[in-house]
Amino acid sequence: MTDPTSETSGEMSDNRAIRWSYMDHWRSAGPAGPIDQWHDRASMSTFLKQLKAAGFDAIDTFDFRFWQILGDYGSVANYQDFVQQHGLERIVNTFHAADYDVRNYAPHVPETHAAILEDFRLTMDRWSGIRLDNIIVMPATLYYDMEPVTPDKIKTTADLWNQVGELTLQWGVKLTCHHEFFCGIQSQPDLDLFYASSDPRYVNLFVDTAQHCIASVDPVDFYRSYADRVTGFHFKDTRNVDVGGDFRHRPDAEIMAPTTDKWFYEMGTDEGLVDFEAMMRAIRDNLYRGWITVEHDKANKSGGDYAESTAISRWYAANVLSRIYA
Amino acid sequence: MSIRRAYALDQWKPQFDDFVRRRDHERALKTIAVAGFSGVQLSSGSGRWAPLGNPDQIVANFGSLPAFSDFVRACALDGVAAYSVDLGQAFHEDLRGGADPGAPADRETVLARATWFADALAAWECQTIVVRPAPSGAAGAADEAGIDAMADCWNAVGEVTAQRGVRTVLRFDFLSSLRLDDGWDRLLEAVDPRYVGVAIDTGELAAAGRDPLAELARGGPPVEHVVLSNALQADELNEFTRPGAEFSVRQSGGERRIGRWFGELEQPGLVDAEQFLRALDAVGYDGWVVVNTAPSPHPATSALLSGYHLHRTLDPLVRSSR
Repeated sequence: MTDPTSETSGEMSDNRAIRWSYMDHWRSAGPAGPIDQWHDRASMSTFLKQLKAAGFDAIDTFDFRFWQILGDYGSVANYQDFVQQHGLERIVNTFHAADYDVRNYAPHVPETHAAILEDFRLTMDRWSGIRLDNIIVMPATLYYDMEPVTPDKIKTTADLWNQVGELTLQWGVKLTCHHEFFCGIQSQPDLDLFYASSDPRYVNLFVDTAQHCIASVDPVDFYRSYADRVTGFHFKDTRNVDVGGDFRHRPDAEIMAPTTDKWFYEMGTDEGLVDFEAMMRAIRDNLYRGWITVEHDKANKSGGDYAESTAISRWYAANVLSRIYA
Repeated sequence: MSIRRAYALDQWKPQFDDFVRRRDHERALKTIAVAGFSGVQLSSGSGRWAPLGNPDQIVANFGSLPAFSDFVRACALDGVAAYSVDLGQAFHEDLRGGADPGAPADRETVLARATWFADALAAWECQTIVVRPAPSGAAGAADEAGIDAMADCWNAVGEVTAQRGVRTVLRFDFLSSLRLDDGWDRLLEAVDPRYVGVAIDTGELAAAGRDPLAELARGGPPVEHVVLSNALQADELNEFTRPGAEFSVRQSGGERRIGRWFGELEQPGLVDAEQFLRALDAVGYDGWVVVNTAPSPHPATSALLSGYHLHRTLDPLVRSSR
């Protein structure tokens, strides 16, 4: 557990290069089956206590939680106060999990851009009550909704995110891109074209170690190539590479792929494919200072337990990765 | 006050075929470590499906006693805080069956087992063996001769373990036959504090209708070990005298079908953990506090919540007593 004095010290008085946040996927057992921490304040409190006990400094969240936050806490700022009452520093990033639809919300379809921009104006305004570092997006639709993935579609997509990134900076928040293995821009050539086509002032990269690994993109090499554009990480592991085209599986690849019951795992186990120590050395070599977010969505699938996965991943961060760079 | 924090592994092994793989042990120990604890308390068991249950099984699984200690430290713990042992249980390893500490004929068996465990603890530089002083309530009340025999047995055990640098402490539990005819109080008056100390288990005492704070304040053998647990229910029906109470009462909940006799420290229950820690501070307690939340349906959650609770309650006490 972190030193209790950290509860009052805050980021500004702390010289650590790396701080650890937790992406707030969670399930626990309720009396009538699984619940998440948004069930009520008591379940949220139990969730936050466990993160604090494990030594996390902060949390990330999804901005679609806005309405639950409004209902349960009154405002985003009030919710962050609740988080801070448990000894955590703040909410660092929010993930904008849009419901992509080529009819009205598709980055490669120019006719939908106005609606997307308006969505971000609204979202940024809703979250303006707190300081956020990043708003994270999957920058393309599902792969099958974008294919054939052409250079023109990638450039159109980049044009949109240039505009969105310029817009979010008006609220002091960086737009950063997180490439799911099943999204339209996930292969190395397409990633390279996307980052060549987008403006580094407005479009940043959020490296999810597992997603790139599944898509046969080495996350360490990828990070080293684009380190100057990286504004955050999801440290997450996988045990499977998609070698059979699951990334284009309809209607869903993430939890319905016939080949793989569970794509994502907590880091810090022998079975994982991601080389986190190499990743940490790369982060050190590039003098990155800031937040690393731990994520293991769907940890409860196939008999898993979120609390245990969270403890194991945090143990690994504290006892292995922090010895490389902290 | 100098308190070292440990966690009991009991909650990870609800059944004899659970918690047998190395991977399970590793994940449990890492969870304990990251939750802010520095030690682990083992519990006795027998047979090859109890890999951490006794020295023979530990050697069979890890190759040697020091290798197990290395394994614990590799999980970022300082080491083993204590072994909680029922020397009266049947062990396949010595083929001796059950033993009654109050029966002089069983003395040799109890002493041999105490030596067996104490040698392991000494190899780990662990200084505490926590023993169950008497069988469950179905055994009936001990008369004066029985209490004297029991005291003689534990004095002898304490002397033997002390020769190996290991202190013997008696832990009362809510199924104990010592609940009958003030057996626990009479035993503590009869034992020799030179050889025997006391382990307070707050939840077990509360479940038996006893006050842990009063136990801390009483004279007699010194309190040298603490198990911090929270009883959610007391055995109001005195079911501790039922045959097989370990299963029908402790595990199955007895007639009232109690789901969990013991819960999280922060749950409303019969133990005020914060108040008890303040009392420990007041008496200048110097030793291990072992949190035990068994049985728990979600061990990792219980460990993390316990870590948080101690962080919020114990840390301010430690800071104020520096």
